[in-house]
Amino acid sequence: MKRRTPMLLCAAATTVALFGTAACSGSDVKSSSSAGSGTLTIQGDAGNPTLVENFNPFASTALHGQFLMYEPLEIPSPIDGTYTPFLATGYKFTNPTTLVYTLRPNVKWSDGQAFSANDVTFTFNLLKKFPALDTRGIWAQVASVSGAGNTFTVTFKQPNVPFAAQVAQVPIVAEHAWSSVADPVKYTDTKPVVTGPFTLDTFAPTQYKLKKNPNYWQADKVTPSEVAFPAQASNQATNQLDVTSGKFDWAYTFIPDVKNTYVNRDSAHNTYWFPPGGTIGLFLNLTKAPYDNVSFRKGVSESLNRTTIAQKAVNGYLDQASMSGLILPNLQKWLDPSIPNSGNITQSASQAQQDFAAAGYHLTGGKLIGSNGKQATMTIVMPGNFSDWVAAAKEVATELGQVGIKVSLDEPQYAQYSTATQGGTFDAAMGGFAGSGDPYTDFNNGLNSSFAAAVKTPTVNNFQRFKDPSVDQALGALAAATDPSAQRNATFALEQVMYNQVPVVLLYYGGSWGLFRDNHFTGWPSAQNPYTLPTNYTNAMLVVATRLQSAS
Amino acid sequence: MRYILRKVALFVITLWAAITLNFALPRLMPGSPVDAALAKIASTGQAITNTQRHAIEVQLGVPHSNVFSQYGQYWKNIFTLNFGRSYSFPTETVTHTIGKALPWTIVLVGSTTIIAFIVGTLLGVYAGWRRGKAGDSAVTIGATFFGAFPPFWLGLLLLYLLAFRFGVFPLKGGYNEGATPSLTWPFVRDAIVHSILPAATLAITTLSGWVFGMRNNMINTLGEDYVTFAEANGLRSRTVALLYAARNALLPNVTAFGLSLGAVVGGSVLVEGVFSYPGLGNLLYIAVSNHDFPLMQALFLVITVSMLVAIFIVDLLYVRLDPRVRR
Amino acid sequence: MSVLTSTPTPPPQVPGAAAAVTAGGESRVPGSLRVIGRAFRTLWSNGKARIGLIIIALMVLVAIFAPLIANHSPTATTFQPYQNPNGSNWFGTTGNGQDVFSQMVYGARVSLLVGLVSGAVATIVAVTIGLIAGYRPGPVDEGLSFLTNLVLVIPGLPLMIILAAYLQSHSVWTIILVVAFTSWATGARVIRSQATTLRTRDFITSAQFSGERLHRVVFREILPNMTSLVAASFFAAATAAVMAEASLEFLGLGDPNTVSWGTILYYAQQQNSVLTGQWLLVFAPGLAIALLATAFTLVNFGVDALSNPRLREK
Repeated sequence: MKRRTPMLLCAAATTVALFGTAACSGSDVKSSSSAGSGTLTIQGDAGNPTLVENFNPFASTALHGQFLMYEPLEIPSPIDGTYTPFLATGYKFTNPTTLVYTLRPNVKWSDGQAFSANDVTFTFNLLKKFPALDTRGIWAQVASVSGAGNTFTVTFKQPNVPFAAQVAQVPIVAEHAWSSVADPVKYTDTKPVVTGPFTLDTFAPTQYKLKKNPNYWQADKVTPSEVAFPAQASNQATNQLDVTSGKFDWAYTFIPDVKNTYVNRDSAHNTYWFPPGGTIGLFLNLTKAPYDNVSFRKGVSESLNRTTIAQKAVNGYLDQASMSGLILPNLQKWLDPSIPNSGNITQSASQAQQDFAAAGYHLTGGKLIGSNGKQATMTIVMPGNFSDWVAAAKEVATELGQVGIKVSLDEPQYAQYSTATQGGTFDAAMGGFAGSGDPYTDFNNGLNSSFAAAVKTPTVNNFQRFKDPSVDQALGALAAATDPSAQRNATFALEQVMYNQVPVVLLYYGGSWGLFRDNHFTGWPSAQNPYTLPTNYTNAMLVVATRLQSAS
Repeated sequence: MRYILRKVALFVITLWAAITLNFALPRLMPGSPVDAALAKIASTGQAITNTQRHAIEVQLGVPHSNVFSQYGQYWKNIFTLNFGRSYSFPTETVTHTIGKALPWTIVLVGSTTIIAFIVGTLLGVYAGWRRGKAGDSAVTIGATFFGAFPPFWLGLLLLYLLAFRFGVFPLKGGYNEGATPSLTWPFVRDAIVHSILPAATLAITTLSGWVFGMRNNMINTLGEDYVTFAEANGLRSRTVALLYAARNALLPNVTAFGLSLGAVVGGSVLVEGVFSYPGLGNLLYIAVSNHDFPLMQALFLVITVSMLVAIFIVDLLYVRLDPRVRR
Repeated sequence: MSVLTSTPTPPPQVPGAAAAVTAGGESRVPGSLRVIGRAFRTLWSNGKARIGLIIIALMVLVAIFAPLIANHSPTATTFQPYQNPNGSNWFGTTGNGQDVFSQMVYGARVSLLVGLVSGAVATIVAVTIGLIAGYRPGPVDEGLSFLTNLVLVIPGLPLMIILAAYLQSHSVWTIILVVAFTSWATGARVIRSQATTLRTRDFITSAQFSGERLHRVVFREILPNMTSLVAASFFAAATAAVMAEASLEFLGLGDPNTVSWGTILYYAQQQNSVLTGQWLLVFAPGLAIALLATAFTLVNFGVDALSNPRLREK
């Protein structure tokens, strides 16, 4: 938007005549970080109200900078699952329950000690000893681990090939640094000993800095000499204003009308990339009539104009979601070609009425009346502060109203939403589906009947409570499959279930809101080069940071 | 003396009741802190898994003990000033978190309230004394207008206009990014610059209460027999206004001062939020939205106790100022 | 005799005026009507109050005739989002494609409702508790003061946030209840301390000695002497209610489907209207809230003059 003109109002700031000069000289202090082209400035963690120093890579409250310091074995792209190797050079399944990683030689910790298989084994055993650290649920699947020489072997309890993605992403810590830590759950790790491209330099309550690790095994691939993380404000609108000032090389935030509000402020350097990172859907409670009727669900699905919904919800930044359950184009290679139109449903009132009729519902006087003589109703619950979900639900309500369903919206705080959805006491709910970059994980979390707990027994996964033995069978096959064609066949079967049985009415893709400036560094992920998501709060940062080049 | 003893007893009982209520109220809130943590992940549209939920539950150490043992623990903690670890900031103690935020709020809110009280009361005395004259109209209309601004809205306007559009003031925070709090002149100057907008917002919007209260009291008092009598006895009207009327008119305003000083911490929640100011108000809002029981309890306690003490002091002062209530 | 009625200004209509304000009138309907009429004339004769009355009247008219004034539905999301003011959307459109002018017009309904109703409820509670406590020293006073102090020491906004969350339903009536419940204590305390002072005055004592009943003493002798406090309580509570409603909705704790000035501000912040250059979305609702609050305060000046002839403009 408008450029900052710091001097203009100095004289006019009457309320503050006393401090006028101080205000003028002191206010526009841009973080000195963006000055040198060697500094990469990343819009950092939310400082609420100030940052709490914590780089423990297993803590949910760790500062994002830890992703540039600790390395895992490999990082799969959340887009299509392609691996970027870090502490491992590769992996293979010797059988569906045995996973063997080859570890990278000649890696040193930032304190100069050598990295070895013992560190990897130590890390995994640490997660076993302290389940609170095991955020990826490793030990629910893994029976044992062992390291020897340059290999690290993981034995699964039962075949689970796709779970390699979780094993690969565990950040590896140094045994010599962590073995003496009494309580690793509360440990704040303010002097991290790491293998990654950066080490901790300075920490202040509203900004911390990392400096390049000279010992890094691929130091030649690391361009920035320094990374600065200025804290975000607790006020989201302020953060958006802050982003437009151009002080960040890499920011992550939804921003309205991005072309005008961000790109045009410096069109030579400001770019954005908003790829799909998840799918937003209308979850119908499958334990309740009429939502347990597949024809009714199909009717709902066909009544919706998903293009309009995406337009209302996410400014049309993202497209309507494919009913195959896959995020497209990210997972295009897994898409069953026999699914019509890539799974994109076109709104069709006539088709919808046919399906509603099959479910015993007929349009009478503008109302969809069931065989019990009552109008079909639906209450959609969603957290009131998820504005895109609310906007989508409003459009859904309007469109379902046109086919005769009486829809009302319930917009509580997240906690109540979560109680209703997890307990299965809702009618319909807005929710997220998929987004891991791996079809098995997505379908397993969303459709596996083992998650479909009884009503009132909370479950986060599959909270719509879908149960289909053929799905469980396909998931089992996919978990055990190591050869690509078997994997594809199992995935296709799951897509068919998704498309034909509509366990979730998928609506539109949720975005990943990457905002970049290329005046200091180039090589950001983009539609042309979609090597990872633009999330600056996940391990995707490590992948990005080792690919950046200097702009000059 | 009996009056004072009774006040002390009342003070203690109120303290107990308020502290117990503080314990009960947060627990009446639906939802758990785990949900708040999960909300952050869910807002990206990414599906949440049972595994994530369980791990966060374990990490946050959500209390599963029954309410009575929690209550016992609560009292023990109050006496040992041990409020445990907050869910939002699990790596530091609640006492530490509050300790960091407290000075900012004390300085910001305390000083602006005192300034607003002094300026507002003086303006009120003036307006009451000059009732019906041009000076009165200017003061009352001006105070009415500014006092009617919702504080957060005035804050937003100032933030957008002076910080974003014209860049005269910083957008956020209590000091520059990268600075470490210290008592050096550059830092203090930096902190003052950052506090001007929130302070101005609070002062401007709270001024009117003092002005009107004082003006009304002044006018009432000026009509009292003893004032009329003093005036009739030939005392100069300025002397009457200041010595006789103002002193008595101050009484209700002092009552309000005690209440206001304590309430002001709660009242600044939105203003601190708008300016992302690192004080208690901001912290309180964060705690409430994160369902952060330990932090909320401790914050409520700090505010409640400070408020009770303020009211208690005012009660005692009141006895000094108006001997009639001693009976 | 009362201090007030001893002043040689207009006839002693004070008790009737008090009845008009507190609705605590006895069976003197025609008299009350006349008094209300006179009270209104007194109000109208006050320049500041007149401005306030005009503003409130205009807003009430806008609220009543909202469907005729607004040129679109306030909830329809049929427009191009982020529009600047134009021929059809006079104040532009929101990020959801809603017409802002129509939202402003319909929003007047909610703000007025919340302000007047919760102001009234809070005042009734405050007057009842404050008067009884102030007039009956001893256990009654201690008990009620205790209750008052208790409500006072709980920080207002956080209490409102908690209650709003706890009550789950986020309708306008929830907000009214929450605001009324949290904002009576200040008024009660001020009224109590004034009543305490008055209790010991000669004219009350003499009324008591002449054998008047409690409620008569309270309503006929004490209340009239604090009409300005009661009125100030009401308008302060109403103003606070308008602000509190806006605050709660701004925080996202209101009903986001309600069209009110508070929710317009909430969405303006959510959709960062300033960033998209739509200043009006922030400016207009805030100004409307400020205007309504100003109007309440201005009328307050006139009400003061009602009970206290000394406050009348010359």
